[in-house]
Amino acid sequence: MDESALILDAQHGDLQAFNTLVLAYQDVLFNTALRILNDEDQAADAVQEAFLSAFRALNSYRGGSFRAWLLRTVTNACYDELRRKKRRPTTPFEPETAEGEEVESPHWLADPHASPEESLDQAELEHAVQHCLENLPPDFRAVVVLADIQGLDYSEVAIAVHKPLGTIKSRLARARLRMRACLQGFRELLPVAYRLEEESSL
Amino acid sequence: MTTPSSRDLEQLSAYLDGQLSQSSRARLEIRIQSDAGLASALEELRQTRAFLRRTPHRRTLHNFTLTPGMAGIRPPVPRLVPVLSWVSAVAMLFFIFTLGASLVGQLYVGKTASMNAAVPMGGGAGPLAAAPMAPSSANTATMAPLMAAPAPLAPAATGVPATSVPLAASSNPPAADQTAPPPPTEETSIVSVEQATPPAVSRLAQLQAASKSLKRQVNYWLFIWPGMAVILGASAIVAWGLNKRDFQRKNPPG
Repeated sequence: MDESALILDAQHGDLQAFNTLVLAYQDVLFNTALRILNDEDQAADAVQEAFLSAFRALNSYRGGSFRAWLLRTVTNACYDELRRKKRRPTTPFEPETAEGEEVESPHWLADPHASPEESLDQAELEHAVQHCLENLPPDFRAVVVLADIQGLDYSEVAIAVHKPLGTIKSRLARARLRMRACLQGFRELLPVAYRLEEESSL
Repeated sequence: MTTPSSRDLEQLSAYLDGQLSQSSRARLEIRIQSDAGLASALEELRQTRAFLRRTPHRRTLHNFTLTPGMAGIRPPVPRLVPVLSWVSAVAMLFFIFTLGASLVGQLYVGKTASMNAAVPMGGGAGPLAAAPMAPSSANTATMAPLMAAPAPLAPAATGVPATSVPLAASSNPPAADQTAPPPPTEETSIVSVEQATPPAVSRLAQLQAASKSLKRQVNYWLFIWPGMAVILGASAIVAWGLNKRDFQRKNPPG
């Protein structure tokens, strides 16, 4: 995929070229939105809105990491959604069994290629991470999701959240410390392979 | 072993991600080797980062590709559409004008025809029959056939049947000094205009003139419409060309 050519075509209004880019980046954007919002439907809405905004503002893209530029649009969409949720809080829908019991790990969240044990472990890990992310302020959450979950470097994170590098370094360090402290609380609940070592000095 | 400060933790986090400068990195490495607290904090940050990186990635449940409607893109309009719309407008004007002019033309022709029919043609036998006859018997003898002269015209123009001829012949009593005219025969029924009496010639000339006038009017309308169609068609072509040029200027290729 010649990303530069596709971007250039999309800037000239070629929707098919833009949709090729959408298919290449939709998973990254969706996972980012999902970790920030912790809601699949809201994450999907945010991603769709982000791609729409990106297409409309494509001429403002002046080069550099296109992934970071796209992540910036989805991060903004997530912030908007969080602000909206804060104004009008809603009760998330929790799936239930036939007996009316809440299902913590719905079947549609499972990886179809993983074994039942792996799926369960991954679900536990995901639940722990998501719970700890929820306890972070949105600005810290976005930084740790982008840097540690999506694997962006600092400069890309800086573009995505529109903050200077120094702020990114500071927020990431503090976010990691908070995540560490939170995840320690899940130590006994997590499978052995996913457990953090016992806290020492932090 | 010391408890790392916030500044130290920030340095350790950046060191973990390879974001420190060469000199800062060298200084921190010396400190880490000599301070167990910093080394432990670094290890915990590394574990946390590794833990987070193992977070499962979800696949999207559906694609987020945009449709032209979502993106606000209207389907491409064929290039000829603006041009054809102008041509359509011209054609519509042409149609309305032709229709209107045709109706007016028919009314005018009908009025003229009825006027002509009222004066010399339709009642041709009557006025002609009432016209004063020449005293000579020769002339009188030629009158009845002459009355028949317009007969072929009458049905064509007015629909009056040719049977008016005997009526004309019988409705003209001969003058007192005239001998009784012989009844019209086959031989006398065909006469030339030159043989007619002057008033009859005058009437016949009027009839012929009216007939010619009617034919001219019909011919005029028969020729004027194709001519106008050609003119308006040419105008439509010129408008098409001008609009195409204008469209190409506004939408240069590439």
